Amino acid sequence: MMNRIAMLGGLIAGLGFFFLPILNLKPNRLASGTGFNLLEFQGDDRYLLLFLLALVPIVLAFREEPESRGWLLVGTGSLLFLLTLILPAGAGRVLLQDPEAYLTGGAFIRNPRILPSGGMVLGLLGAYVTIFAGVRDLARAGVQMWLQAIATWVAPLIALGLLLSGSFDVYSILVEFYANGDALEQKFVEHLMFVFISLGVGFIVGVGLGLWASRDERVAPVILYAVGIIQTIPSLALFGVLLVPLARLGDRLFLPTLGFFAIAALLAVLTAGLYVWLADREPARLRFAHLLATAVTAAVPLALLVGVLVSFLFRLANVGFTSGAYGATTSTILGLLIAALVTWVLARWVLPAEGRAQSGMRWLNRGLSLATVVSVLVLFVQAAGNNRILGSVDSIQTLTIRDLGVSGIGVAPALIALTLYSLLPLVRNTYAGLNNVDAAIIDSGRGMGMTPSQRFLQIELPLAFPVIMAGVRNAGVALVGIGTVATVIGAGGLGDFVIQGIVNTSIDQILLGAIPAIGLALVLDATLRGLEGLFTSPGIKQVQS
Amino acid sequence: MIEFQNVVKRFPDGFTAVKGLNLKVHDGEICVFIGPSGCGKTTSMRMVNRLLSITEGKILVEGRDNRDFPAEELRRKIGYAIQQIGLFPHFTVTDNIAVVPRLLGWEESRIRRRVDELLELVGLDPDINRDKYPRQLSGGQQQRVGVARALGADPPIMLMDEPFGAIDPITREVLQEEFLQIQKEISKTIIFVTHDIDEAIKMGDRIAILRDGTLEQYDTPDNILAHPKDRFVRDFVGSDRSLKRLGLVRVHELMDTELVPSVRIRDGVEKAKQVIEQYKVRSAFVVDDDGELRGWVDLDGIRHSPTSLVDAMMEADYHEIGVRKNNTAREALSAMVARGFRITPVVDKDGKLLGSITLQALQDLAEQGWGDEEANGS
Repeated sequence: MMNRIAMLGGLIAGLGFFFLPILNLKPNRLASGTGFNLLEFQGDDRYLLLFLLALVPIVLAFREEPESRGWLLVGTGSLLFLLTLILPAGAGRVLLQDPEAYLTGGAFIRNPRILPSGGMVLGLLGAYVTIFAGVRDLARAGVQMWLQAIATWVAPLIALGLLLSGSFDVYSILVEFYANGDALEQKFVEHLMFVFISLGVGFIVGVGLGLWASRDERVAPVILYAVGIIQTIPSLALFGVLLVPLARLGDRLFLPTLGFFAIAALLAVLTAGLYVWLADREPARLRFAHLLATAVTAAVPLALLVGVLVSFLFRLANVGFTSGAYGATTSTILGLLIAALVTWVLARWVLPAEGRAQSGMRWLNRGLSLATVVSVLVLFVQAAGNNRILGSVDSIQTLTIRDLGVSGIGVAPALIALTLYSLLPLVRNTYAGLNNVDAAIIDSGRGMGMTPSQRFLQIELPLAFPVIMAGVRNAGVALVGIGTVATVIGAGGLGDFVIQGIVNTSIDQILLGAIPAIGLALVLDATLRGLEGLFTSPGIKQVQS
Repeated sequence: MIEFQNVVKRFPDGFTAVKGLNLKVHDGEICVFIGPSGCGKTTSMRMVNRLLSITEGKILVEGRDNRDFPAEELRRKIGYAIQQIGLFPHFTVTDNIAVVPRLLGWEESRIRRRVDELLELVGLDPDINRDKYPRQLSGGQQQRVGVARALGADPPIMLMDEPFGAIDPITREVLQEEFLQIQKEISKTIIFVTHDIDEAIKMGDRIAILRDGTLEQYDTPDNILAHPKDRFVRDFVGSDRSLKRLGLVRVHELMDTELVPSVRIRDGVEKAKQVIEQYKVRSAFVVDDDGELRGWVDLDGIRHSPTSLVDAMMEADYHEIGVRKNNTAREALSAMVARGFRITPVVDKDGKLLGSITLQALQDLAEQGWGDEEANGS
């Protein structure tokens, strides 16, 4: 059977090379330059061969035998991938030696640079599609998993090696990277913190709401509707809407606000308690109004708590994780995490199912996990004690909310908005996951004598886990994207590069922001999938998209 | 022992599902609850382990009110198997069976031994099956694991709610037979809910027929079939109840071994005629020198071939016209109806004639209590 995907790969690369320029020589950072097509480099047959190489998958697609075809496609694709990166680099260096000879138009030449163009993108894409088609053939031919993994990753890994060794330094993106390297690191970490803090707080709130919705059928539509509405608000609008109230909140003093929060929380608890107590005895309409009242009274203190909490956590994390002073604690935390993971893997898969080695490893794992959590707390406490957190404050009387990190512009609106956006996937997936546990299974658990908490922890949670994790993944990846927009309100993150690039019409800067963001989303997705796979029982694993 | 004392179940919307049930299930017996949909059979069963609360009356389990215990403690002492099986898909077979023992805090090695023991009991090879997940098992295998799980902590009592209902008929019959064998070994006190009267007759030591929340009749299967209390029970057990009764009797309980009309081939036609006249039957069985059944002979055949028994007899395969000692009387009747005989030979596995069973004997059995409307049973 013809391998249509391989044919597609070849067509993408071939057409890309034929119609689009592979390189763009720019006279300076800002001006758009002159494009060079692959076939223009006459006198050097290598480039012609590259073009022909792109057409090889089209021919291979017709070959019948899966295993040999698979290996040939993987080989061709990998070669194509690497050469598409390497050869134009060489051509670029030649061009840069004498830019005036090649440039048209009278643009001012200063720091000329080579920008990879559409042809290269399509070439790389076509090459990777070809590799993918090859691996599929191998899978169908029954080749072992580890060989398949090698086939998939060999080209990107070699490319990575070349990248790190500096072979691609002629490309403008890398020039930009070297110029802005430190800033990139800082913004990347900021972006990471956006995602993790919002996801973390959103997880607690979202899973909690999802749990409540799955237990109480009357509350469910209200909760789902509310988080759904939030999702429909465009992110930029939500950021804008939060500016004013947060600015006002920032001006307030801490102690009075704390008092207000306590009173509002008490009111909410009373209303909610009354609702639960009266639950079955009220007529439907009154109950709905009561529920609404509970929602409104709870929303105020909850919003206040979440808003201040995320902003303060960000401040702490910023100082704790990024400032050089806490390097020791941060590396300790990382070490403990790795050790905990290793012991867990050992206990689960390497050691025999029972015995002292097993239980010893399990206890060690628990200890390491606990130590990690404690170290993170220690880090936060250390950072909190740092003067930079609270600024120069004389006493708690003069402490304002702004000192805790909440203000109209900056991270606060971004984090609050991101937390809100993470709610829908989390609530919805938690609700669906818990609801879809087969009632017969829970009934037999009950009939056998499990207590409600045993049923929840041993039956409902493990069975709902894959669906809930899918929600976390969804939310995480979405937050990476929305976080890029947060730059417009001064929150920072990778979006800064994108906006600067737009302002300066420097595509390299845009890419400097966009590519790490895309990479972060992909890595986050893959990591969460991996974790999900580790913790899901083989009895319920399904092939997921 | 399980005892229902004036048990009433009323739901919040006012519907009364069980209206004063009084019933005693004896130790080591399978008591089948059966009745039309909505009769309260499942509701009654679920009140024994308090999955449903009792509105009025009480249920005594081993002599004590079942409300004296905390619900979870009670349930861990009662095996529970349901129609949808309800195996935990994320647990292995071992972990599923080990649920109640683990809740009770048994030591791991004791649990592993118990799991293997139970897998063998329900007919599954432990080495192959103990680490499988439910989705790797067929429906019949899953239900066997379900039964093993219900027996996990060796509870004295079991509640089974249509456990074989979701299985195909062929596997169901196999599982029923095997379960009866297991019950012979372990003698649990079991409440078994079903809507299938044939299953009830097969499985039950006693049957409780329920209608609209009240107990219509509670007696052994044979008594209910022989003496249905009223028109409802009569209709419920089916108008072929006499045949059903015959299904409860084995051939060896009714067969004749002495007065069997048979003749050896070598004895010839004259002897055959003698035998037929002597026993006042229409035909006699013909056996060979080893006693193996080869066919039969009647007066018509003798008239056609007066000199040779071999020519006069009708040859027949003992597999086709005979029944075994362990067949039911109903199967013997089926053989008679198929051939138009009033007598069926009883043979062993090699075809040796052991005796015979007559239509008259079956009728005599059926006549005990035909049309009898007297109430019978406690």
